[in-house]
Amino acid sequence: MTVSIKAHSVGLRYRILRPLTLRPKDKRLLKTGGTISGSGRRQHVQALEDVSFELSAGDRLGLVGSNGAGKTTLLKMLYGIMEPTSGTLSISGRVDALFNINLGFRPEATGRRNIELRGLINGWTRRQIEEAMPEIIEFSELGDFIDMPFKSYSQGMAARLAFSVATTLTPEILLMDEWIGAGDAAFQKKAGERMNALTGQAGIVVLASHNDKLIQRVCNKVLVLEKGRVKKFAPLEKKRA
Amino acid sequence: MTLKEVLKGAVEEIASGFRRYPVWVALAHESIGDQHRRTTLGPLWLVLNYFLFAGAFVVVFGHRNEIENFPAYVATGLYVWLLMSEAINTAVPLFRREANYIKGTTLPLFVYVMRLAMQTVIRGAYSGAGWIVLMLFLVQPSLEQWLMAFAGLAVIVLALPAVITIFALLGAFFPDFEFITSNLVRVGMFLTPIFWIHGNDGGLRQMLYEYNPFTHFLAIVRQPIISGELPVMELLLCLGISAFAWVFAFFLLGVLRKKVVFVV
Ligand SMILES: Nc1ncnc2c1ncn2[C@@H]1O[C@H](COP(=O)(O)OP(=O)(O)OP(=O)(O)O)[C@@H](O)[C@H]1O
Ligand SMILES: [Mg+2]
Repeated sequence: MTVSIKAHSVGLRYRILRPLTLRPKDKRLLKTGGTISGSGRRQHVQALEDVSFELSAGDRLGLVGSNGAGKTTLLKMLYGIMEPTSGTLSISGRVDALFNINLGFRPEATGRRNIELRGLINGWTRRQIEEAMPEIIEFSELGDFIDMPFKSYSQGMAARLAFSVATTLTPEILLMDEWIGAGDAAFQKKAGERMNALTGQAGIVVLASHNDKLIQRVCNKVLVLEKGRVKKFAPLEKKRA
Repeated sequence: MTLKEVLKGAVEEIASGFRRYPVWVALAHESIGDQHRRTTLGPLWLVLNYFLFAGAFVVVFGHRNEIENFPAYVATGLYVWLLMSEAINTAVPLFRREANYIKGTTLPLFVYVMRLAMQTVIRGAYSGAGWIVLMLFLVQPSLEQWLMAFAGLAVIVLALPAVITIFALLGAFFPDFEFITSNLVRVGMFLTPIFWIHGNDGGLRQMLYEYNPFTHFLAIVRQPIISGELPVMELLLCLGISAFAWVFAFFLLGVLRKKVVFVV
């Protein structure tokens, strides 16, 4: 079975159970967010609507769009955290994801223990975890901090750990949400190389980011979202700087 | 959602939850560790807490009390009550507390349920050590009595995941539920025959005694210790309540499992 992602007219609507508090807004200028509808206790946000695209092995997709355009929502749907409320989505391949760095890490536990927990959560066996451990620690370059509690890490250190865990047992599909900015230049370079290697081994990477340079460097396709709809889905023309 | 989808969803949820046992075992240990990491006595606090509680009850209510072997009666009732009420109190905010994981990973919800069930059992084992010591001291139960009491505890443990599932789901969808249960649990301590016994007078007290499900869960552990008899009717009743809880939990899980991520 080859690695692929097929989204056909996918939509996702968040139901808001309690009334939303929203500042008065000017409809003409509303650029951010999905479409809010309903009233009183039955409001909902159409975060994604009629989104269709296909990706196959070797693709590195850049997800772009303004705040609230639906990037994170799309990634969470691809990962399987949420099911689409309309349309069909079929994914084949082992998926791993990096969202908000603090999602899925325990602040009180050490880096090493967090690696174990992440591994278990991802469904690795004890042996796989033991074997991967030295490589994860080495790639993250955390040194002695690996035995310190996760809460004592800086943003960038947390990002390093998260990235190393997610990529060491090469997932077939890697989803990333605006995380990499936290790493320093050296780590970003290293991470970029690893992502290329991953897609070289017939994987797929989907990366949501506001950083055009990063998208340019890493991706070969781009999906532009605007208020939950696909504005553009095309191969990325490489700009030569 | 068709009934078939609901059932299929629930089976999938529970089966994959059980399959992922290394995750909940690890997370349960982690949570217990978190709770006691900074303390000197660690989990011994659980034993101490139980001793203090039981001691206070015996001293306050034991004065000229007619109940046979009152200290053992109270200590056993209290042990079972604390085990169950703590499970309920921690179950209600369970999914909201785990929002980080629920929104960031694809673990089945049942993993969190089993994590809490296991945590409850581990904590219960610590205070259980205190209970065993007290019983050895107060009653010297025979092997037979121990076996019967532990059978009662086993019934409670079997019901735990279902009860936790129900309370956690209701807690996730109705934020008010947390206040309702925490109040009921507090009042329940007095409405449950932990330190009293029904009077056979057909009054309110007897009703509270008979229609309170906790009464029977207390009885299946306590009766063997106090009177040395196997409470057959109560055991059957508790098994029935547990079966009902499992069916209810099953349906709730099937219907709500994919919606939880939107409300926590
Ligand atoms: N849990 C939620 N409940 C209700 N609405 C939500 C929820 N999460 C996101 N939304 C809404 O869905 C829309 C898309 O949000 P999403 O987080 O996917 O945007 P994004 O493109 O990742 O934005 P950003 O660039 O700020 O990260 C927004 O309108 C947002 O308000
Ligand atoms: Mg986002």
